[in-house]
Amino acid sequence: MNEALQQWIDARMSRPGTLGGGMRGPDGASICQSADESFSREKVQRLLEQLAKFQPQLFEGLPSPRWSTWRFEQGKIRCVVRPDGWLLGLVVRLESEAEQQLDTTSDAFLALDLNDPLAQVGPQPANDPNPQ
Amino acid sequence: MDDDAVFLGTIADLFAAWSNDKWHIRQAISADQALDLLRKEKMDVIVVDANMPVLDGIQFLKILTRRHPELKKVMLTGLATEEKRSACLANGAELFIEKPRSSDGLKAVFAMLDELMTWKPREGFQGMLRKVGLQDVIQMECLGRNSCVLEISNQQLSGRLYIEEGNLVHAMLGNLTGEKALQKLLSIAGGSFQLLPFEQPAQRTISGPWEFLLMEAARVRDESAQTADAGTDAAAGAAPDAADATHVTVAETLVSSETGDVLYAWQCPDAGVRLAWLQTVARAAADLASETPLGTFDRLEIDAGFGRAIAQARTDRLIFVRVTHRPESS
Repeated sequence: MNEALQQWIDARMSRPGTLGGGMRGPDGASICQSADESFSREKVQRLLEQLAKFQPQLFEGLPSPRWSTWRFEQGKIRCVVRPDGWLLGLVVRLESEAEQQLDTTSDAFLALDLNDPLAQVGPQPANDPNPQ
Repeated sequence: MDDDAVFLGTIADLFAAWSNDKWHIRQAISADQALDLLRKEKMDVIVVDANMPVLDGIQFLKILTRRHPELKKVMLTGLATEEKRSACLANGAELFIEKPRSSDGLKAVFAMLDELMTWKPREGFQGMLRKVGLQDVIQMECLGRNSCVLEISNQQLSGRLYIEEGNLVHAMLGNLTGEKALQKLLSIAGGSFQLLPFEQPAQRTISGPWEFLLMEAARVRDESAQTADAGTDAAAGAAPDAADATHVTVAETLVSSETGDVLYAWQCPDAGVRLAWLQTVARAAADLASETPLGTFDRLEIDAGFGRAIAQARTDRLIFVRVTHRPESS
């Protein structure tokens, strides 16, 4: 299971402009990957923990979001939380291919079958043709 | 305008005679009367007694500057002080004159007014869009609750934005009007702009808080750029068409100062709750900024079934806007 999720994440890390990302399960276990030396795996891990911590504080009283995007001067953090509690965090540079594909990747994560994630990892990570 | 009708009548007769009846003089003994006259007739100059009862001269001057920015304003006072003079000039008066007590004094005032009548100020200010962001100019005018017309042009396009008392009321660019024209104007990367005195637009095509309009325009611009860049591959993505922006409805807005004072709240069920939420966003953004190499925080965008919520945390203010894709009641 973890290996399959790791592959799913790794596939998304290859897009130009991706700095790092990972998934965090409802039990707190996480799978992280860095894609840029300026953003280490440890930082990705801490980012996921923070995103998980902010969820109840930020979205209480608001209808459940499909996703939230923290936009900074040079990049974006996309946070997607599934109804089953799995969280996806991605960090990308602005005006990059990775940024253009954020919505597609988020939809793919929401549609991901966590019982068989490899079925959706496939050999073609670059453009996410499967998730819509 | 002076509450002393006798004084008014005297100088009106004298000035009319000295101008060989070229001046058309209207008299008002109250602010109400003066505003009524200004509504009915275009005037070149207004001379106001700074010590009017009910509505203080400075307050009246502020109203005049907002409503009639093109009108030249002269303040007349029985007792001139430096403090009063500074306040009048700072609030839009062209001249500050002590009430004349002699015939010579009256002639001097007439000469000054005559000179003022022929003086034409250099209209507005202009700039290059690469040096000054159009968004910044609009923000400055809206925050100052100013009225003006912004003319924006480059080699291919020329458009206009109308701002009235700090509200965006109309935008036009070629055949486009309203938010589409605003979005297109804000996407012009080069060119120049000129700030002109306000004039009533032929139609009003924009409404809603300017903060939202600018943020929404920025979002549409970003997403349009992404769509264009992504080419045909974008069909698999979820970037909405720019035209979608015209269907959104502002459901809630809140603007607060950095110290937590609510500056503007519109349709907020509980401004205190929203403010606390915005402060939580600002703290969370600071934490996230410290963990990532992405620079300064700009905004948080939340996409949900209901539409979208945007939170901006700037150094001087916090802004929350919630929009729906259809009216709240549906």
